[in-house]
Amino acid sequence: MSSGIRYQSSPEQQGAYSILPVWRRLVSLLLVLAAALLMIVLVGEFLGVRLEPPVERVASLALTPFALALWLLISVLPEYRMERPRRRLIGVAVVSALTASAIGLPLAQDFMRVSEWLPLQSVFQRVLGYSLSVGVIDTGLKFVVMRYLIYPQALRVRSDAIAYAAASAIGYGAFLSIAFIWRLAPAWDIAAVYLLANLAVQLASSLFIALGIIESYFSDAPLLVLPVNVAVGALTSGVISALLGGFLSGPLTTAGNTARPLFAFAMLLAALALTIGTVYFLYSNSERREREAYMSGWAPDGI
Amino acid sequence: MEFETGRTPAIQITPRQRWSIALTYLLLAVGFVLGVNQRDSALNQASIYSNLEAGFTASYPARWLLEEAGAYVFRVRDMSHRGFNTVIEVSTAPVGADTSERNILDQLSLQRSQTLTDYTVLGYAPYLLPDDSPAISMSYSFVARDSSPFQEGLSAVVNGLDILSIRRGQAVIVAFRAEASIYRRELETLRWFMQNLEF
Repeated sequence: MSSGIRYQSSPEQQGAYSILPVWRRLVSLLLVLAAALLMIVLVGEFLGVRLEPPVERVASLALTPFALALWLLISVLPEYRMERPRRRLIGVAVVSALTASAIGLPLAQDFMRVSEWLPLQSVFQRVLGYSLSVGVIDTGLKFVVMRYLIYPQALRVRSDAIAYAAASAIGYGAFLSIAFIWRLAPAWDIAAVYLLANLAVQLASSLFIALGIIESYFSDAPLLVLPVNVAVGALTSGVISALLGGFLSGPLTTAGNTARPLFAFAMLLAALALTIGTVYFLYSNSERREREAYMSGWAPDGI
Repeated sequence: MEFETGRTPAIQITPRQRWSIALTYLLLAVGFVLGVNQRDSALNQASIYSNLEAGFTASYPARWLLEEAGAYVFRVRDMSHRGFNTVIEVSTAPVGADTSERNILDQLSLQRSQTLTDYTVLGYAPYLLPDDSPAISMSYSFVARDSSPFQEGLSAVVNGLDILSIRRGQAVIVAFRAEASIYRRELETLRWFMQNLEF
């Protein structure tokens, strides 16, 4: 890392470098999207409003483009008002979606056949199974995409990794959402839960990948930090996927069992808040340590 | 206030970071292999069925549903598959001294053609049982509709294979049926089932 250039930026300097702050944008995106999806779930749950089947199918499929449009509006377009935009955001999202389509989904569905054996396992086995199958596949593919598209050539500041990780998660999750909604044709409120679930699972694992890349690249952390973060990403993905089914399905009664989208929605929001909170804490902590090291005249790369 | 580290765009990664990336790939590969291993152990887990009265002992996939109430000795079904559930059904029928295997298969075809939609016999072939005793197989296809009239769904083309063997004055018929799209893959399960079937 001897060729790295370090500086501490003041708000004025940040203005001069004109790099879009990423955390605020990410949280805004999630809040707006969650509010819109929550409205759909509440309308379905409490008002019992049901659309005609063809209209419902179109409305369900339109949810994913709506999420993508929100991301473009809140996170991508403002980049181009900056002096130094993150130019590869759309590229990372598109390549991630193509990777999900060409490798991720076929590998999980046709090769691992997760729907045939995982739902029948115990909770612990489900967590382990989802982590080692879907979690490893999704996290691994997104890591490969980020490795070859942004690491290290597009990394100027720590927040770049977070922005590109979010782009990767949104691209990958968007394709999975469209594929699931197309295949299963769920009710509108259940489609909203599927969309949030895919986004939560992908975002959680991507943020941990980003944290690993940040620590490895900017702090020159020990060898195991990156692999451990990727493993935690796969595990997080596995935990959310394994718990989702239990929260979404109601108890089996004599009247049958009904879906509980509100329970699943609350669980997904809690999982997202916990993941983002954890990653943000570790991110800030790492940044603070580096700042302190810089202030005390010592930096890991010797500058 | 955000602390930022600026870098020259063409910066190279260090050997430590290179090793870290290699370790990540290794970890992902190990995780994937463990996942495949867990899948195989879950899919290949077997349960034992034993019916001393009828004289059958069989191993069947543990995740399949075992049923004994019906016009058969027992049958096992893969309930996890959406659409037509793959099924292996074992039944017996008494035979006279001059009844041939082909007579029994023709009788079966006659019955099925009245109850199954578009039932078509595709062919007959000799079949060698695991103990090297000869049997005969009949392959056929039909179109299956969902059994519940309240469920919407498309009809499925189903391929079937009957294996018939006459022993101790009775015909033992192992009927295997699976959706045409997964038939070849599911044949492996039938082969494994036949290898472990004792009667």
